[in-house]
Amino acid sequence: MDSPVVLDLSEALNQADGDRDLVITLAGLFLQESPKEVAAARASLARQDRDGLVAAAHKLKGSVIPICAPRLFERAKQLEELGLQGDFAEAEAVCADVERLLAEVHAALRKLIAGGFPS
Amino acid sequence: MKLNSAKPLVRSVDSQASSCAMPATILLVEDEPITRASMAARLKRFGYRVLEIDNGLEALEMARRERPDLIVVDWMMPGMDGPTFCETLRRDPAMKSTYLLLMTARDQPAQIAEGLARGADDFLSKATSKDEIRARVLAGLRTSRLVRELEATAEKLESSLLLLQTKQAEMNADLQSAASFVHSLLPPQGSPIPGIALAWEYQPSLTLGGDLFDVMAIDKDHLGLYILDASGHGVAAALRSAALMTFLRAENILQMLGSYDPERVLFEANRRFPMSADGEYFTLWVGQLHLPTGRLTYAAAGHPGALLCSAEDPSRWLTRASFPLGIDPSAEFASDRVLLKPGDRLFLLSDGIYEVPSPSGELWGRGRFQAVIDAEKLRPLSATVAACFAEARSWQQAQHFSDDAAVMGLALTEYQEEKSHG
Repeated sequence: MDSPVVLDLSEALNQADGDRDLVITLAGLFLQESPKEVAAARASLARQDRDGLVAAAHKLKGSVIPICAPRLFERAKQLEELGLQGDFAEAEAVCADVERLLAEVHAALRKLIAGGFPS
Repeated sequence: MKLNSAKPLVRSVDSQASSCAMPATILLVEDEPITRASMAARLKRFGYRVLEIDNGLEALEMARRERPDLIVVDWMMPGMDGPTFCETLRRDPAMKSTYLLLMTARDQPAQIAEGLARGADDFLSKATSKDEIRARVLAGLRTSRLVRELEATAEKLESSLLLLQTKQAEMNADLQSAASFVHSLLPPQGSPIPGIALAWEYQPSLTLGGDLFDVMAIDKDHLGLYILDASGHGVAAALRSAALMTFLRAENILQMLGSYDPERVLFEANRRFPMSADGEYFTLWVGQLHLPTGRLTYAAAGHPGALLCSAEDPSRWLTRASFPLGIDPSAEFASDRVLLKPGDRLFLLSDGIYEVPSPSGELWGRGRFQAVIDAEKLRPLSATVAACFAEARSWQQAQHFSDDAAVMGLALTEYQEEKSHG
Protein backbone atom coordinates (compact mmCIF):
# COMPACT_ATOMS: atom_id res chain seq x y z
CA MET A 1 0.00 0.00 0.00
CA ASP A 2 1.38 3.43 -0.96
CA SER A 3 2.07 5.82 1.87
CA PRO A 4 -0.37 8.75 1.88
CA VAL A 5 0.71 11.81 -0.04
CA VAL A 6 1.66 15.04 1.73
CA LEU A 7 -1.19 16.92 0.10
CA ASP A 8 -4.12 15.33 -1.75
CA LEU A 9 -4.89 18.20 -4.11
CA SER A 10 -7.49 16.26 -6.02
CA GLU A 11 -9.51 15.61 -2.87
CA ALA A 12 -9.02 19.22 -1.67
CA LEU A 13 -10.41 20.44 -4.97
CA ASN A 14 -13.27 17.97 -4.72
CA GLN A 15 -14.13 19.21 -1.20
CA ALA A 16 -14.10 22.76 -2.53
CA ASP A 17 -16.54 21.68 -5.24
CA GLY A 18 -13.90 22.40 -7.89
CA ASP A 19 -13.31 25.95 -6.70
CA ARG A 20 -9.55 26.43 -7.22
CA ASP A 21 -9.56 29.96 -5.86
CA LEU A 22 -11.09 28.69 -2.63
CA VAL A 23 -8.39 26.04 -2.26
CA ILE A 24 -5.72 28.72 -2.77
CA THR A 25 -7.45 30.93 -0.19
CA LEU A 26 -7.61 28.04 2.29
CA ALA A 27 -3.95 27.26 1.65
CA GLY A 28 -2.98 30.86 2.47
CA LEU A 29 -5.07 30.75 5.63
CA PHE A 30 -3.48 27.47 6.65
CA LEU A 31 0.03 28.86 6.18
CA GLN A 32 -0.95 31.74 8.43
CA GLU A 33 -2.87 29.90 11.15
CA SER A 34 -1.34 26.44 11.54
CA PRO A 35 2.01 27.57 13.04
CA LYS A 36 0.04 29.18 15.90
CA GLU A 37 -1.62 25.87 16.75
CA VAL A 38 1.60 23.88 16.59
CA ALA A 39 3.29 26.49 18.77
CA ALA A 40 0.36 26.26 21.19
CA ALA A 41 0.67 22.48 21.27
CA ARG A 42 4.39 22.70 21.90
CA ALA A 43 3.89 25.24 24.72
CA SER A 44 1.19 23.05 26.30
CA LEU A 45 3.52 20.08 26.19
CA ALA A 46 6.21 22.14 27.93
CA ARG A 47 3.90 22.92 30.82
CA GLN A 48 2.19 19.50 30.66
CA ASP A 49 -1.17 21.17 30.03
CA ARG A 50 -3.54 18.44 28.84
CA ASP A 51 -6.45 20.72 27.96
CA GLY A 52 -4.21 23.12 26.09
CA LEU A 53 -2.59 20.29 24.15
CA VAL A 54 -5.95 18.75 23.25
CA ALA A 55 -7.40 22.10 22.15
CA ALA A 56 -4.40 22.98 19.98
CA ALA A 57 -4.17 19.51 18.39
CA HIS A 58 -7.95 19.45 17.81
CA LYS A 59 -7.89 22.82 16.13
CA LEU A 60 -4.94 21.86 13.95
CA LYS A 61 -6.67 18.60 13.00
CA GLY A 62 -9.84 20.48 11.99
CA SER A 63 -7.88 22.95 9.89
CA VAL A 64 -6.14 20.13 8.00
CA ILE A 65 -9.45 18.61 6.80
CA PRO A 66 -10.21 21.18 4.07
CA ILE A 67 -6.70 21.14 2.63
CA CYS A 68 -6.50 17.34 2.66
CA ALA A 69 -3.10 16.55 4.15
CA PRO A 70 -3.72 12.94 5.27
CA ARG A 71 -0.48 12.22 7.12
CA LEU A 72 -0.57 15.47 9.01
CA PHE A 73 -4.25 14.84 9.85
CA GLU A 74 -3.46 11.41 11.30
CA ARG A 75 -0.59 12.75 13.37
CA ALA A 76 -2.61 15.72 14.66
CA LYS A 77 -5.40 13.31 15.59
CA GLN A 78 -2.88 11.10 17.41
CA LEU A 79 -1.52 14.11 19.26
CA GLU A 80 -5.04 15.04 20.40
CA GLU A 81 -5.67 11.50 21.64
CA LEU A 82 -2.36 11.44 23.53
CA GLY A 83 -3.30 14.73 25.08
CA LEU A 84 -6.61 13.25 26.20
CA GLN A 85 -4.70 10.32 27.70
CA GLY A 86 -2.14 12.64 29.31
CA ASP A 87 0.70 10.71 27.69
CA PHE A 88 3.12 13.62 27.38
CA ALA A 89 6.19 11.43 26.69
CA GLU A 90 4.64 9.88 23.56
CA ALA A 91 3.08 13.22 22.68
CA GLU A 92 6.57 14.79 22.53
CA ALA A 93 7.58 12.40 19.78
CA VAL A 94 4.32 12.83 17.89
CA CYS A 95 4.52 16.61 18.19
CA ALA A 96 7.93 16.49 16.56
CA ASP A 97 6.38 14.45 13.73
CA VAL A 98 3.60 17.00 13.43
CA GLU A 99 6.14 19.81 13.12
CA ARG A 100 8.05 17.91 10.44
CA LEU A 101 4.90 17.06 8.49
CA LEU A 102 3.61 20.60 8.84
CA ALA A 103 6.84 21.86 7.22
CA GLU A 104 6.24 19.43 4.31
CA VAL A 105 2.64 20.57 3.94
CA HIS A 106 3.65 24.23 4.09
CA ALA A 107 6.22 23.63 1.34
CA ALA A 108 3.61 21.91 -0.83
CA LEU A 109 1.13 24.71 -0.23
CA ARG A 110 3.64 27.42 -1.07
CA LYS A 111 4.38 25.58 -4.29
CA LEU A 112 0.67 25.41 -5.03
CA ILE A 113 0.17 29.11 -4.37
CA ALA A 114 3.18 30.02 -6.48
CA GLY A 115 2.59 27.64 -9.36
CA GLY A 116 -1.07 26.87 -9.30
CA PHE A 117 -2.69 23.50 -9.82
CA PRO A 118 -0.81 20.96 -11.90
CA SER A 119 -2.46 20.55 -15.25
CA MET B 1 -15.56 38.94 16.50
CA LYS B 2 -18.09 39.52 13.76
CA LEU B 3 -16.65 38.36 10.48
CA ASN B 4 -19.20 39.46 7.98
CA SER B 5 -22.60 41.03 8.03
CA ALA B 6 -25.60 41.32 5.83
CA LYS B 7 -29.04 42.83 6.30
CA PRO B 8 -31.81 40.38 7.18
CA LEU B 9 -33.63 39.07 4.16
CA VAL B 10 -36.85 37.27 3.47
CA ARG B 11 -36.05 33.58 3.63
CA SER B 12 -36.93 30.42 1.82
CA VAL B 13 -35.93 26.91 2.81
CA ASP B 14 -34.28 25.77 -0.39
CA SER B 15 -32.96 28.86 -2.00
CA GLN B 16 -31.79 26.86 -4.99
CA ALA B 17 -35.33 25.79 -5.69
CA SER B 18 -36.48 29.27 -6.62
CA SER B 19 -34.45 32.02 -8.16
CA CYS B 20 -36.84 34.75 -7.06
CA ALA B 21 -37.16 33.70 -3.38
CA MET B 22 -34.69 35.21 -0.94
CA PRO B 23 -32.16 32.77 0.51
CA ALA B 24 -32.42 31.19 3.91
CA THR B 25 -29.94 32.58 6.45
CA ILE B 26 -27.44 30.33 8.20
CA LEU B 27 -25.30 31.48 11.11
CA LEU B 28 -21.94 29.69 11.12
CA VAL B 29 -20.13 29.72 14.47
CA GLU B 30 -16.59 28.36 14.20
CA ASP B 31 -13.37 29.65 15.75
CA GLU B 32 -11.01 27.81 13.40
CA PRO B 33 -10.70 30.05 10.31
CA ILE B 34 -9.91 27.41 7.68
CA THR B 35 -12.84 25.17 8.56
CA ARG B 36 -15.06 28.25 8.80
CA ALA B 37 -13.97 29.55 5.40
CA SER B 38 -14.39 26.12 3.83
CA MET B 39 -17.86 25.52 5.33
CA ALA B 40 -19.02 29.07 4.58
CA ALA B 41 -17.96 28.74 0.95
CA ARG B 42 -19.82 25.44 0.67
CA LEU B 43 -23.03 26.82 2.22
CA LYS B 44 -22.87 29.88 -0.01
CA ARG B 45 -22.48 27.64 -3.04
CA PHE B 46 -25.69 25.92 -1.93
CA GLY B 47 -27.30 29.33 -2.24
CA TYR B 48 -27.69 30.35 1.40
CA ARG B 49 -26.91 33.64 3.01
CA VAL B 50 -24.16 32.88 5.53
CA LEU B 51 -23.31 34.92 8.61
CA GLU B 52 -19.93 34.00 10.12
CA ILE B 53 -18.75 34.49 13.67
CA ASP B 54 -15.80 33.02 15.56
CA ASN B 55 -17.08 32.80 19.14
CA GLY B 56 -20.16 31.71 21.04
CA LEU B 57 -20.90 34.87 23.00
CA GLU B 58 -21.07 37.16 19.98
CA ALA B 59 -22.93 34.43 18.11
CA LEU B 60 -25.70 34.57 20.75
CA GLU B 61 -26.08 38.28 20.20
CA MET B 62 -26.09 37.88 16.42
CA ALA B 63 -28.61 35.02 16.59
CA ARG B 64 -31.01 37.17 18.63
CA ARG B 65 -30.59 40.08 16.25
CA GLU B 66 -30.69 38.27 12.91
CA ARG B 67 -33.02 35.33 13.74
CA PRO B 68 -31.23 32.94 11.32
CA ASP B 69 -33.16 30.02 9.91
CA LEU B 70 -30.45 27.61 11.06
CA ILE B 71 -27.27 27.76 13.12
CA VAL B 72 -24.19 25.62 12.49
CA VAL B 73 -22.01 25.73 15.59
CA ASP B 74 -18.64 24.10 16.29
CA TRP B 75 -18.38 21.90 19.37
CA MET B 76 -14.90 22.88 20.53
CA MET B 77 -14.37 26.59 20.85
CA PRO B 78 -12.52 28.66 23.44
CA GLY B 79 -14.77 30.55 25.82
CA MET B 80 -18.28 29.30 25.15
CA ASP B 81 -18.24 25.87 23.51
CA GLY B 82 -20.92 24.53 21.16
CA PRO B 83 -23.05 22.60 23.68
CA THR B 84 -23.04 25.57 26.08
CA PHE B 85 -24.09 27.82 23.19
CA CYS B 86 -26.99 25.42 22.39
CA GLU B 87 -28.01 25.28 26.04
CA THR B 88 -27.95 29.07 26.42
CA LEU B 89 -29.94 29.64 23.25
CA ARG B 90 -32.58 27.09 24.27
CA ARG B 91 -33.16 28.99 27.52
CA ASP B 92 -34.11 32.12 25.57
CA PRO B 93 -37.89 31.92 24.90
CA ALA B 94 -37.49 33.87 21.66
CA MET B 95 -34.81 31.49 20.37
CA LYS B 96 -35.78 28.16 21.86
CA SER B 97 -37.10 26.79 18.56
CA THR B 98 -34.03 27.77 16.48
CA TYR B 99 -32.63 24.79 14.61
CA LEU B 100 -29.09 23.95 15.80
CA LEU B 101 -26.58 21.81 13.94
CA LEU B 102 -23.61 20.95 16.13
CA MET B 103 -20.45 20.58 14.02
CA THR B 104 -17.81 18.28 15.39
CA ALA B 105 -15.11 15.76 14.70
CA ARG B 106 -16.56 13.88 17.67
CA ASP B 107 -18.90 11.10 16.71
CA GLN B 108 -18.95 8.85 19.75
CA PRO B 109 -22.54 7.93 20.84
CA ALA B 110 -21.99 9.36 24.33
CA GLN B 111 -20.86 12.68 22.88
CA ILE B 112 -23.77 12.78 20.44
CA ALA B 113 -26.15 12.07 23.34
CA GLU B 114 -24.58 14.90 25.34
CA GLY B 115 -24.93 17.31 22.43
CA LEU B 116 -28.59 16.40 21.91
CA ALA B 117 -29.30 16.60 25.63
CA ARG B 118 -27.82 20.10 25.74
CA GLY B 119 -29.97 21.43 22.93
CA ALA B 120 -28.55 20.44 19.54
CA ASP B 121 -31.01 19.22 16.92
CA ASP B 122 -28.52 17.32 14.76
CA PHE B 123 -24.83 16.76 14.11
CA LEU B 124 -22.54 17.57 11.23
CA SER B 125 -19.15 15.97 10.91
CA LYS B 126 -16.41 18.28 9.71
CA ALA B 127 -15.14 15.59 7.39
CA THR B 128 -18.52 14.72 5.94
CA SER B 129 -19.39 14.77 2.24
CA LYS B 130 -20.95 17.66 0.38
CA ASP B 131 -24.15 15.66 -0.18
CA GLU B 132 -24.55 14.87 3.51
CA ILE B 133 -24.01 18.50 4.48
CA ARG B 134 -26.60 19.58 1.93
CA ALA B 135 -29.07 16.92 3.13
CA ARG B 136 -28.69 17.78 6.82
CA VAL B 137 -28.94 21.53 6.20
CA LEU B 138 -32.04 21.07 4.03
CA ALA B 139 -33.66 18.82 6.63
CA GLY B 140 -32.87 21.38 9.32
CA LEU B 141 -34.29 24.24 7.27
CA ARG B 142 -37.48 22.28 6.58
CA THR B 143 -37.90 21.70 10.30
CA SER B 144 -37.07 25.31 11.05
CA ARG B 145 -39.68 26.54 8.57
CA LEU B 146 -42.36 24.25 9.99
CA VAL B 147 -41.59 25.32 13.54
CA ARG B 148 -41.78 28.98 12.56
CA GLU B 149 -45.06 28.42 10.76
CA LEU B 150 -46.39 26.71 13.86
CA GLU B 151 -45.17 29.56 16.03
CA ALA B 152 -46.80 32.11 13.71
CA THR B 153 -50.04 30.10 13.74
CA ALA B 154 -49.90 29.84 17.52
CA GLU B 155 -49.39 33.60 17.79
CA LYS B 156 -52.34 34.22 15.48
CA LEU B 157 -54.48 31.78 17.44
CA GLU B 158 -53.50 33.42 20.69
CA SER B 159 -54.37 36.89 19.44
CA SER B 160 -57.65 35.58 17.99
CA LEU B 161 -58.42 33.95 21.32
CA LEU B 162 -57.71 37.19 23.16
CA LEU B 163 -59.97 39.06 20.74
CA LEU B 164 -62.70 36.47 21.20
CA GLN B 165 -62.34 36.64 24.97
CA THR B 166 -62.62 40.43 24.85
CA LYS B 167 -65.69 40.23 22.62
CA GLN B 168 -67.15 37.51 24.82
CA ALA B 169 -66.62 39.66 27.92
CA GLU B 170 -68.32 42.60 26.18
CA MET B 171 -71.18 40.37 25.12
CA ASN B 172 -71.52 38.92 28.61
CA ALA B 173 -71.61 42.43 30.06
CA ASP B 174 -74.32 43.36 27.55
CA LEU B 175 -76.27 40.21 28.38
CA GLN B 176 -75.99 40.85 32.11
CA SER B 177 -77.17 44.39 31.56
CA ALA B 178 -80.11 43.15 29.45
CA ALA B 179 -80.91 40.47 32.06
CA SER B 180 -80.95 43.12 34.79
CA PHE B 181 -83.30 45.19 32.68
CA VAL B 182 -85.66 42.25 32.07
CA HIS B 183 -85.54 41.45 35.79
CA SER B 184 -86.55 45.01 36.55
CA LEU B 185 -89.69 44.48 34.44
CA LEU B 186 -90.92 41.64 36.66
CA PRO B 187 -93.38 42.51 39.43
CA PRO B 188 -92.07 43.36 42.92
CA GLN B 189 -92.45 40.56 45.44
CA GLY B 190 -94.42 40.91 48.70
CA SER B 191 -97.64 42.91 48.46
CA PRO B 192 -97.36 44.88 45.24
CA ILE B 193 -101.09 45.51 45.16
CA PRO B 194 -103.55 45.65 48.09
CA GLY B 195 -105.31 42.32 48.49
CA ILE B 196 -102.53 40.33 46.91
CA ALA B 197 -99.38 38.62 48.18
CA LEU B 198 -96.81 37.72 45.55
CA ALA B 199 -93.73 35.51 45.45
CA TRP B 200 -91.85 34.22 42.46
CA GLU B 201 -88.67 32.62 41.31
CA TYR B 202 -87.24 32.67 37.83
CA GLN B 203 -84.29 30.66 36.55
CA PRO B 204 -83.43 31.33 32.88
CA SER B 205 -81.53 28.53 31.17
CA LEU B 206 -79.18 31.14 29.71
CA THR B 207 -78.35 34.65 30.91
CA LEU B 208 -81.50 35.89 29.23
CA GLY B 209 -84.73 33.92 29.33
CA GLY B 210 -87.88 33.75 27.24
CA ASP B 211 -90.36 33.47 30.13
CA LEU B 212 -91.94 36.64 31.49
CA PHE B 213 -94.86 37.27 33.85
CA ASP B 214 -96.58 40.16 35.53
CA VAL B 215 -99.39 41.20 37.85
CA MET B 216 -100.78 44.69 37.42
CA ALA B 217 -103.66 46.84 38.51
CA ILE B 218 -106.10 47.41 35.67
CA ASP B 219 -108.39 49.66 37.66
CA LYS B 220 -109.37 49.89 41.31
CA ASP B 221 -111.25 46.57 41.19
CA HIS B 222 -109.35 44.50 38.65
CA LEU B 223 -105.96 42.87 38.40
CA GLY B 224 -104.44 41.69 35.15
CA LEU B 225 -101.98 38.80 35.30
CA TYR B 226 -100.18 36.67 32.76
CA ILE B 227 -97.28 34.40 32.11
CA LEU B 228 -95.78 34.01 28.66
CA ASP B 229 -93.29 31.48 27.39
CA ALA B 230 -91.38 32.06 24.14
CA SER B 231 -90.16 28.97 22.32
CA GLY B 232 -86.36 28.78 22.20
CA HIS B 233 -83.91 30.34 24.62
CA GLY B 234 -81.45 33.17 24.88
CA VAL B 235 -81.34 36.63 23.37
CA ALA B 236 -83.76 36.03 20.47
CA ALA B 237 -86.42 34.54 22.76
CA ALA B 238 -85.89 37.33 25.32
CA LEU B 239 -86.29 40.06 22.71
CA ARG B 240 -89.51 38.51 21.38
CA SER B 241 -90.80 38.11 24.94
CA ALA B 242 -90.01 41.73 25.75
CA ALA B 243 -92.02 42.79 22.70
CA LEU B 244 -95.01 40.73 23.82
CA MET B 245 -94.62 42.01 27.38
CA THR B 246 -94.76 45.58 26.10
CA PHE B 247 -97.94 44.70 24.24
CA LEU B 248 -99.44 43.18 27.41
CA ARG B 249 -98.88 46.29 29.55
CA ALA B 250 -102.16 47.45 31.14
CA GLU B 251 -102.08 50.92 29.56
CA ASN B 252 -101.55 49.45 26.11
CA ILE B 253 -104.29 46.84 26.41
CA LEU B 254 -106.79 49.31 27.93
CA GLN B 255 -106.09 51.82 25.20
CA MET B 256 -106.45 49.16 22.54
CA LEU B 257 -109.27 46.98 23.89
CA GLY B 258 -110.88 49.00 26.70
CA SER B 259 -110.53 46.11 29.18
CA TYR B 260 -108.20 43.26 30.14
CA ASP B 261 -110.64 40.60 29.01
CA PRO B 262 -108.42 37.51 28.53
CA GLU B 263 -110.31 36.31 25.44
CA ARG B 264 -109.79 39.59 23.67
CA VAL B 265 -106.22 39.99 24.86
CA LEU B 266 -105.32 36.57 23.43
CA PHE B 267 -107.21 37.20 20.21
CA GLU B 268 -105.33 40.43 19.63
CA ALA B 269 -101.97 38.99 20.69
CA ASN B 270 -102.52 36.04 18.34
CA ARG B 271 -103.16 38.45 15.50
CA ARG B 272 -100.13 40.62 16.24
CA PHE B 273 -97.57 37.95 17.05
CA PRO B 274 -97.57 35.40 14.24
CA MET B 275 -95.18 32.48 14.24
CA SER B 276 -91.73 33.68 13.15
CA ALA B 277 -90.09 32.64 9.88
CA ASP B 278 -87.94 30.17 11.77
CA GLY B 279 -90.92 28.63 13.55
CA GLU B 280 -90.73 30.39 16.93
CA TYR B 281 -93.96 31.12 18.79
CA PHE B 282 -95.40 31.92 22.25
CA THR B 283 -97.64 30.20 24.72
CA LEU B 284 -99.56 32.59 26.97
CA TRP B 285 -101.89 32.39 29.94
CA VAL B 286 -103.85 35.56 30.78
CA GLY B 287 -106.15 36.19 33.70
CA GLN B 288 -108.24 39.04 35.05
CA LEU B 289 -109.15 39.01 38.72
CA HIS B 290 -112.08 40.96 40.07
CA LEU B 291 -110.89 41.79 43.55
CA PRO B 292 -114.26 42.56 45.21
CA THR B 293 -115.71 39.15 44.27
CA GLY B 294 -112.61 37.03 43.73
CA ARG B 295 -113.82 36.13 40.26
CA LEU B 296 -110.97 35.08 38.03
CA THR B 297 -111.50 35.04 34.29
CA TYR B 298 -108.75 33.32 32.38
CA ALA B 299 -107.81 32.00 28.97
CA ALA B 300 -104.77 30.25 27.57
CA ALA B 301 -103.03 29.97 24.20
CA GLY B 302 -101.19 26.66 24.18
CA HIS B 303 -100.11 27.21 27.75
CA PRO B 304 -100.20 24.24 30.15
CA GLY B 305 -102.10 26.32 32.68
CA ALA B 306 -102.12 27.85 36.11
CA LEU B 307 -102.63 25.84 39.29
CA LEU B 308 -105.26 26.90 41.80
CA CYS B 309 -104.67 25.77 45.35
CA SER B 310 -107.23 26.36 48.09
CA ALA B 311 -107.03 25.50 51.76
CA GLU B 312 -109.98 23.10 51.70
CA ASP B 313 -109.96 21.50 48.24
CA PRO B 314 -107.32 19.68 46.22
CA SER B 315 -105.47 21.91 43.80
CA ARG B 316 -106.64 21.99 40.18
CA TRP B 317 -105.31 23.20 36.84
CA LEU B 318 -106.91 26.19 35.18
CA THR B 319 -106.53 25.71 31.45
CA ARG B 320 -108.15 24.34 28.36
CA ALA B 321 -106.65 22.92 25.18
CA SER B 322 -105.76 25.61 22.64
CA PHE B 323 -103.20 26.55 20.01
CA PRO B 324 -100.15 28.62 20.91
CA LEU B 325 -100.12 32.19 19.65
CA GLY B 326 -99.47 32.78 15.98
CA ILE B 327 -100.38 29.34 14.66
CA ASP B 328 -103.84 30.24 13.36
CA PRO B 329 -104.40 33.99 12.78
CA SER B 330 -108.18 33.60 13.10
CA ALA B 331 -108.10 31.46 16.25
CA GLU B 332 -110.35 32.40 19.14
CA PHE B 333 -109.57 31.62 22.75
CA ALA B 334 -112.43 30.86 25.06
CA SER B 335 -112.22 31.99 28.66
CA ASP B 336 -113.28 30.24 31.84
CA ARG B 337 -114.20 31.60 35.24
CA VAL B 338 -113.53 30.53 38.77
CA LEU B 339 -114.16 32.13 42.16
CA LEU B 340 -111.17 32.61 44.44
CA LYS B 341 -111.55 32.87 48.18
CA PRO B 342 -109.25 34.69 50.58
CA GLY B 343 -106.32 32.44 51.30
CA ASP B 344 -106.50 30.75 47.91
CA ARG B 345 -103.29 30.58 45.99
CA LEU B 346 -102.78 30.75 42.26
CA PHE B 347 -99.55 29.58 40.67
CA LEU B 348 -98.56 30.72 37.19
CA LEU B 349 -95.70 28.66 35.85
CA SER B 350 -93.73 27.72 32.78
CA ASP B 351 -93.31 24.09 31.75
CA GLY B 352 -89.55 24.45 32.33
CA ILE B 353 -90.14 23.96 36.06
CA TYR B 354 -91.57 20.45 35.75
CA GLU B 355 -90.18 19.18 32.43
CA VAL B 356 -86.90 18.31 34.08
CA PRO B 357 -85.46 14.82 33.60
CA SER B 358 -83.86 12.72 36.30
CA PRO B 359 -80.44 11.27 35.46
CA SER B 360 -82.28 8.17 34.18
CA GLY B 361 -84.39 10.35 31.85
CA GLU B 362 -87.73 10.27 33.70
CA LEU B 363 -89.51 13.66 33.77
CA TRP B 364 -90.46 15.20 37.09
CA GLY B 365 -93.85 16.13 35.60
CA ARG B 366 -96.91 18.18 36.44
CA GLY B 367 -98.17 15.65 38.97
CA ARG B 368 -95.12 15.88 41.19
CA PHE B 369 -95.12 19.68 40.87
CA GLN B 370 -98.76 19.74 41.95
CA ALA B 371 -97.95 17.42 44.87
CA VAL B 372 -95.33 19.87 46.15
CA ILE B 373 -97.82 22.76 45.90
CA ASP B 374 -100.37 20.75 47.90
CA ALA B 375 -97.88 19.59 50.47
CA GLU B 376 -96.59 23.12 50.98
CA LYS B 377 -99.96 24.90 51.07
CA LEU B 378 -99.67 25.86 54.76
CA ARG B 379 -96.19 27.29 54.43
CA PRO B 380 -95.45 30.89 53.45
CA LEU B 381 -95.95 31.54 49.74
CA SER B 382 -92.28 32.25 49.07
CA ALA B 383 -91.32 29.00 50.81
CA THR B 384 -93.76 27.08 48.59
CA VAL B 385 -92.26 28.60 45.45
CA ALA B 386 -88.74 27.88 46.71
CA ALA B 387 -89.74 24.27 47.48
CA CYS B 388 -90.85 23.78 43.85
CA PHE B 389 -87.40 24.78 42.62
CA ALA B 390 -85.63 22.76 45.30
CA GLU B 391 -87.60 19.61 44.42
CA ALA B 392 -87.04 20.10 40.67
CA ARG B 393 -83.30 20.54 41.23
CA SER B 394 -83.19 17.53 43.48
CA TRP B 395 -85.00 15.47 40.84
CA GLN B 396 -82.64 16.42 38.02
CA GLN B 397 -79.65 16.39 40.42
CA ALA B 398 -78.43 19.66 38.92
CA GLN B 399 -78.73 23.32 39.81
CA HIS B 400 -79.04 24.54 36.25
CA PHE B 401 -82.29 24.18 34.29
CA SER B 402 -82.12 23.21 30.62
CA ASP B 403 -85.23 25.32 29.88
CA ASP B 404 -86.34 28.61 31.37
CA ALA B 405 -88.15 27.86 34.61
CA ALA B 406 -90.57 30.31 36.27
CA VAL B 407 -93.15 30.04 39.05
CA MET B 408 -95.20 33.02 40.20
CA GLY B 409 -97.35 32.40 43.29
CA LEU B 410 -100.17 34.77 44.11
CA ALA B 411 -102.33 34.62 47.26
CA LEU B 412 -105.52 36.49 48.02
CA THR B 413 -105.24 38.21 51.37
CA GLU B 414 -107.99 39.57 53.65
CA TYR B 415 -107.93 42.88 51.82
CA GLN B 416 -110.58 41.62 49.46
CA GLU B 417 -112.90 40.95 52.37
CA GLU B 418 -112.25 44.38 53.79
CA LYS B 419 -112.98 45.97 50.45
CA SER B 420 -116.17 44.01 49.90
CA HIS B 421 -117.43 44.90 53.39
CA GLY B 422 -116.43 48.50 53.06
